[in-house]
Amino acid sequence: LKEFVMRASLLGTGLLLLSCVVAQSQTQAPNDAELYFISPRDGQRLRGAFTVRFGLSNMGVTQAGSSWANSGHHHLLVDVAEPLHPNEPIPSGNNYQHFGGGQTETRLQLPPGRHTLQLVLGDAEHRPFEPMVISRKITIHVLPPLERRPGPRR
Amino acid sequence: MSAESDTILINNGQRRLLAILLADMVGFSRLMGSDEEGTLARMRRNQREIIEPAIAEHYGRLVNAPGDSWLAVFESPLEAVRCALVIQQAVNARNVALPRTSWIQYRIGVNLGDVIVDASEGAVYGDGVNVAARIESKAEPGGVLISGGVYEQIKNKLVCGYQSLGDEKLKNITDPVHIYRVLPDPASVARARRRHAPGVMTALLATGAAAACVAAYPAVLGHRSVADLVLSPFRGAAGPSGPQTGPAAEAHAQRSGWKQPTALAAAANGAASSRPAAVPEAGGSLPPNPPRETTVPGSVQPVAEQKRREASPPGSAAGQRGFRDCEFCPELVEIPNGKFQMGSREDAAEQPVHEVAVRRFALARVPVSVGEWRRCFEAQACGFMPAGPDNAPARGISWNDAQQYVSWLSRTSGERYRLPSEAEWEYAARGGTSSRYWWGDAMLPKMVNCRGCGEPYDTNAPLGVGSAAANPFGLFDMGGGISQWVADCWHATYQAAPSDGTPWEAPGCRDRVLRSGSWRTGADAVRPASRTGYEAAIRHPSHGFRVARSF
Repeated sequence: LKEFVMRASLLGTGLLLLSCVVAQSQTQAPNDAELYFISPRDGQRLRGAFTVRFGLSNMGVTQAGSSWANSGHHHLLVDVAEPLHPNEPIPSGNNYQHFGGGQTETRLQLPPGRHTLQLVLGDAEHRPFEPMVISRKITIHVLPPLERRPGPRR
Repeated sequence: MSAESDTILINNGQRRLLAILLADMVGFSRLMGSDEEGTLARMRRNQREIIEPAIAEHYGRLVNAPGDSWLAVFESPLEAVRCALVIQQAVNARNVALPRTSWIQYRIGVNLGDVIVDASEGAVYGDGVNVAARIESKAEPGGVLISGGVYEQIKNKLVCGYQSLGDEKLKNITDPVHIYRVLPDPASVARARRRHAPGVMTALLATGAAAACVAAYPAVLGHRSVADLVLSPFRGAAGPSGPQTGPAAEAHAQRSGWKQPTALAAAANGAASSRPAAVPEAGGSLPPNPPRETTVPGSVQPVAEQKRREASPPGSAAGQRGFRDCEFCPELVEIPNGKFQMGSREDAAEQPVHEVAVRRFALARVPVSVGEWRRCFEAQACGFMPAGPDNAPARGISWNDAQQYVSWLSRTSGERYRLPSEAEWEYAARGGTSSRYWWGDAMLPKMVNCRGCGEPYDTNAPLGVGSAAANPFGLFDMGGGISQWVADCWHATYQAAPSDGTPWEAPGCRDRVLRSGSWRTGADAVRPASRTGYEAAIRHPSHGFRVARSF
């Protein structure tokens, strides 16, 4: 039995090493995976803070660092013009919001004006999948805050 | 600027129309009864760390603070109400960790009244003060009530909810006074709820929302300059005299003899951005070092260290000489005491620009390298081993991983290592300068390892630690290379940020602050003022850290 356990653990280590090697190339995603915005709609006009809800078909959501098959975590790209590099981790920064905990929605508050939003699914190492699971880039218009506030609630 | 506004609040005996903020501690006798010394100490701490800075930040003046109640006057009712909300939020945030019976809470009332200020006696006289006191007594603990006069001035300016409590007949006041309760708007309540863990959510609901209510104002204005915002009250008082100039604003601050309103000073200095805002007490002028030609890896070998010192140009700052607490400890550089203007006007997250005093501390010359990290991993104190050559910065490090390293380093060296606070990081990164980068306002080659910032550049990995130029404090990679975790919890703006250089904590914190940008980010993100937040538990290949310790 001891030998069996040892073999099993060796096998486990082997698999772990293998998965590490595999992780260096792009992680595969099913061809029918689809990433989309539940809200807001493309072209929507909004005022103040709003909720962005992420939709994903035929794949699952997991935490960053987890390499569970057919699952990844969301990244929200705000006003990002430059293309993503398929082999590089999705950058971190103010325009690249990461949802490594497996979150599927967020609150956004953007300055008034036109903005673009795009979702990208990242693997355990924050890299895009192959084929890339990416939403359509939507445009929203944030309206300036109302000049006059309604009077006190009576 | 007219003479009138230069004499604000200081002309003894003269009548002035002022916003009067009166606050009273709830259950003072009860708290003193249960823990006299503890309550006094906490009260003094609130006074020193929350109330006084908030009043100064909102151009007010603390007139009278005898123990459990205090009175402040403001030229602008809007600033007075903002100040009240900031104070309530910050005070309540401190309560969250404590049992309800030991909460320190204040009732706050704000009134607008024609009063007489006697600066020498530290007193304000007039009917307006009595009305403020009566309004204050009607507030619930942690609440802010305002009079109709204040409401009329701020209703279209401060994006909050206002609940009318109707006309109140107040004790010993002839005419009834209309009272409003200041409420955060429903949207900010929802936002506050999302930011906090469920356990502390309810306690934070009201307080977080109050902060959002204040913070919403600069945020919705987007990139409108701070100068417009903070100078507007003075402009209003000065009548049609037009925009206030920098020197006049400074003169006002100096002559009035009270704590200089820091954001105002920053705004006034805004035009002359090359003027150093951070003046370390230890050094005089700090000539920036030219970029280094050779690549010196952050090796632990004394030889390499010797080389690095030789490579440093002469005439550099006192902080240049480094030291190590142990053989495998990262090299530290002494950062002198000093004050600086934290933040910038480039991004809403970097505002309001505020003055921070930083105490002398030690900061690592370069980020923790793979070689340095390996010692912790081999000691089985760090659970994760980043890839890369020994002189590469350790990356793919979460904030939680970084905590493992600093606690191991503290245990093995006997010194108290920690992450730098966000304020310490920016102060050290600026190195006594206030420009966009420490060397000036434009990106130059060989200064920083970032995208589009010149050669050498590798898309796949950052350069070795200490490859780019050293700043006036002798620090490398304070911008570019890898993003660096600091101790603070992420807050979307600096509204109500501490001014003493300590980390800004929050209960149930999920996101921590990252500084420096990285080799993957553009020139914009490697400015000393640039900041972003990220989940503390998540690793990302562009994130690492450097260590600090106090003296």
